[in-house]
Amino acid sequence: MAMIEFKNVEKYYGDFHALTNINLKIESGETVVLIGPSGSGKSTLIRTVNGLETVEGGELIVNDQDLANKKTDMNRIRKNVGMVFQHFNLYENKTVLENIMLAPRLVLKRNKSENEKIAQALLAKVGLADKGNSYPKQLSGGQKQRVAIARSLAMKPKALLFDEPTSALDPEMIGDVLNVMKDIAKDSDMTMLVVTHEMGFAKQVADRVIFMDSGKILEDAPSAQFFDNPKEPRAKQFLSQVLNH
Amino acid sequence: MKNFVDAYSWINITYLFKGLLITLEVSIISLLLSFIIGSFLGVIRYSRIKWVSGTVGFIIDIIRNLPLLLIIFFTYFALPKLQIHLSIMQAAISALTVFESAMIAEIVRSGINSVPIGQTEGARANGLTSIQTMWHIILPQAYKKMIPPLVSQFISLIKDTSLATIIVLPDLMYHAQIIYGQNNNYIIPMFLAISIMYFVVNYALSLIARWLDRRLV
Ligand SMILES: Nc1ncnc2c1ncn2[C@@H]1O[C@H](COP(=O)(O)OP(=O)(O)OP(=O)(O)O)[C@@H](O)[C@H]1O
Ligand SMILES: [Mg+2]
Repeated sequence: MAMIEFKNVEKYYGDFHALTNINLKIESGETVVLIGPSGSGKSTLIRTVNGLETVEGGELIVNDQDLANKKTDMNRIRKNVGMVFQHFNLYENKTVLENIMLAPRLVLKRNKSENEKIAQALLAKVGLADKGNSYPKQLSGGQKQRVAIARSLAMKPKALLFDEPTSALDPEMIGDVLNVMKDIAKDSDMTMLVVTHEMGFAKQVADRVIFMDSGKILEDAPSAQFFDNPKEPRAKQFLSQVLNH
Repeated sequence: MKNFVDAYSWINITYLFKGLLITLEVSIISLLLSFIIGSFLGVIRYSRIKWVSGTVGFIIDIIRNLPLLLIIFFTYFALPKLQIHLSIMQAAISALTVFESAMIAEIVRSGINSVPIGQTEGARANGLTSIQTMWHIILPQAYKKMIPPLVSQFISLIKDTSLATIIVLPDLMYHAQIIYGQNNNYIIPMFLAISIMYFVVNYALSLIARWLDRRLV
């Protein structure tokens, strides 16, 4: 069954038509990479999936609920759909452990000892077992991003959204974050939608690649097929630019 | 020199301290009330319900642009005409609270504004409600940034309490006036004494602020 489904979705910022007739189906457990030039609407699209952006037309079904319907309870969707941002967005006033444990405590009412156990295990999983009591400002970018991933995972979501998770990182930090993401993708129940410029990651991990331009989806193909033989001229041109640079 | 020695008699000094106590009492009560009300109003300005945030913003703007003295006159002279009778102390506290709440609401609003939008997005995406986000993430960071403007506002509040002398609030300023009213030679010694008192209180406040600033994350 589809975890995320766009049906003729439209999105406007005032007069600006940011998403045009989006149709896209992402099955439970799939890993999908979204690429496209700057300003093509990748962030806009991914942010509609957890309601950070509203949509103006069509249907957007996430975890069986329609986000285009104003009555839909966003918090119920966000409980099941985590998000990792380009600039981490860790809670600056909380320690690493508090960052991870806050939403499970407030939203899921998880009890303290279980919460702590899960948080510690996640920190170990992302290679930061000794950083629980640090504050975000004491961490490097790569460490922050791994904490952000652990924070999302602590909610035990069905789907994870990543909006350029490595774009703000120094090159030597990118590998650690990608490795954690690869690890998550191995979990066959986890649905992942990833905006990234890391073509190596897309080739290796993605089941499908979506190419966007000017608010439209121009190509939607299995990863191997997309990289070997992109159909759209714009996609070809984009690929040659990112791969040769 | 003799003026100083006479002016600072035991009786006069204790009388000044009684005035200082009134000043502190009125300031502290107004400060606590206006901190709570001002924070509440500042947060409400972020309400998604447009007419609520709009109305609150409009009222705050009006109050902020009135002279405090006018509000003091209003609570003391005008409210009785509306059958609301307040003691001098209550009138002073009400006027200061109304005025300071509006000032603090504005400080809280810009404090909230100064917290990067990513903090809100991170929390909402994480599943927190808007109220949980405000309480656990935004306000703690906003208050930390607001310490300097809040403290200057509190210092103004303590100084502005002296305006209530005009409705005969028996505060520090008023007691000094009583003393030098009896003997003109005491004017300078009294001004010196109350200057020192205001300074010590307000300077202590800024020291506490600096300590808080270092302690909070
Ligand atoms: N809040 C907003 N208000 C108005 N226009 C916006 C807003 N957010 C995005 N846009 C516009 O929508 C278009 C798509 O933006 P979006 O951020 O989705 O692009 P993107 O593909 O993520 O680009 P990048 O690779 O640079 O992150 C851009 O033209 C942008 O200027
Ligand atoms: Mg983007």
